[in-house]
Amino acid sequence: MPAFVRFWGTRGSIPTPGHQTRRYGGNTSCVELRMDGALLVCDGGTGLRELGLDLRRRMPEGVEAHLFFSHMHWDHIQGFPFFVPAYSPESRLHVYETTPGDDRVRRLLHGQMKSEYFPVSFSELGATIEARYFSNRELWVRGVRVRCFEQPHPGRSFAFSFEHEGKKIVYATDSELDSCVCDPLLREREPEALRRLPADLVRFIEGADLLIADGQYTDAEYPSKRGWGHASAATVVDLAVQAGVRQCAIFHHDPMHSDDVVEEKIQVCRARARTHGSELVVFGAREGVELKL
Amino acid sequence: MIVSEDRFGFDSDSTLVGEPGALTGWGPIRRPPRLELLQGPGAPRAFDLLADEMVIGRSSQVEICIESQLMSRRHAALRRSGPDVRLVDLESANGVYLNGVRVHSAGLLEGDTIQIGDVLFVYREGG
Repeated sequence: MPAFVRFWGTRGSIPTPGHQTRRYGGNTSCVELRMDGALLVCDGGTGLRELGLDLRRRMPEGVEAHLFFSHMHWDHIQGFPFFVPAYSPESRLHVYETTPGDDRVRRLLHGQMKSEYFPVSFSELGATIEARYFSNRELWVRGVRVRCFEQPHPGRSFAFSFEHEGKKIVYATDSELDSCVCDPLLREREPEALRRLPADLVRFIEGADLLIADGQYTDAEYPSKRGWGHASAATVVDLAVQAGVRQCAIFHHDPMHSDDVVEEKIQVCRARARTHGSELVVFGAREGVELKL
Repeated sequence: MIVSEDRFGFDSDSTLVGEPGALTGWGPIRRPPRLELLQGPGAPRAFDLLADEMVIGRSSQVEICIESQLMSRRHAALRRSGPDVRLVDLESANGVYLNGVRVHSAGLLEGDTIQIGDVLFVYREGG
């Protein structure tokens, strides 16, 4: 059974509507996966609103969705109060917590709908919304094996791996990969050389048919953004090459980057993959694009 | 609004004020989105996307018929919704590549290239 992936929001940090960002899109993080008949949603940035509208059309009888939040920064949760299925009593939403007993995700979704921030409270949502927990960083949704992996980001974030019938998709946004490169001085010494990343991270991603990864910055930008929790796209390519990934979607585009700048960043990434002798397919995650794996 | 010019005998410092609608007489001119065939059998050629759905394929029964052996009979559809056009792969044998990346479906934007086997199109937005 094929897996489908659709990008609903690919922008990082803040929505960026306008002509300059039309091609890659201005909505913040939201990716829809359909595997083994399950609807899996990665992050609830402003792209989630558009997904909700589409789901209402596709599944008018009610939606069952599994929501995975990489972390709870604004650009990953702001779409939730505008997610139409959440208002329907026919909907069932499963919200995943990465740590057993921790209700952080549900608590913060609730918190952003306090009357100071939003006119409708969480308790007024009509859908059945229930928390589910990872156990030892793993769980199953139908026949899909889901694993999570902690990433370097202020306040921490999680990557998710989804595997079903030999297909593997990894969603790994908001990760400052450059902070965990094995040789931190290599980028200055030999910018073109392959940046080795920790073995456990490489194993987590290994063999993915698709890696969706935060590649917000160019190499030139990263030093001035150190500590902000995002990666240089070049380092993402190096991770994908080491992990034997087939396709890599550079995601979480910088809000200051126009479509032309993103396009240039992707060309640099493709050249880098070729330099490493890899056949990795690299592309910029673009709102509205759907892949079949 | 007309800015006066000396050759009409107006005072060059004065401006005649008028309603733009009355002077131009029409609103924006709309043109449909189109697909331009750049490479492949029958190129160059352009297809105006006038219907809600137009199918690209090898079959003579489809709206955009391209006689390429690498193309399925019904290969891909172009579905219009208002000004937007969405490209959808119809379970074709060789797939659809948008700007070099294989996709199942995608909203199209000005200048996007669509490659199907040895056939290359460029998409032009309507206006």
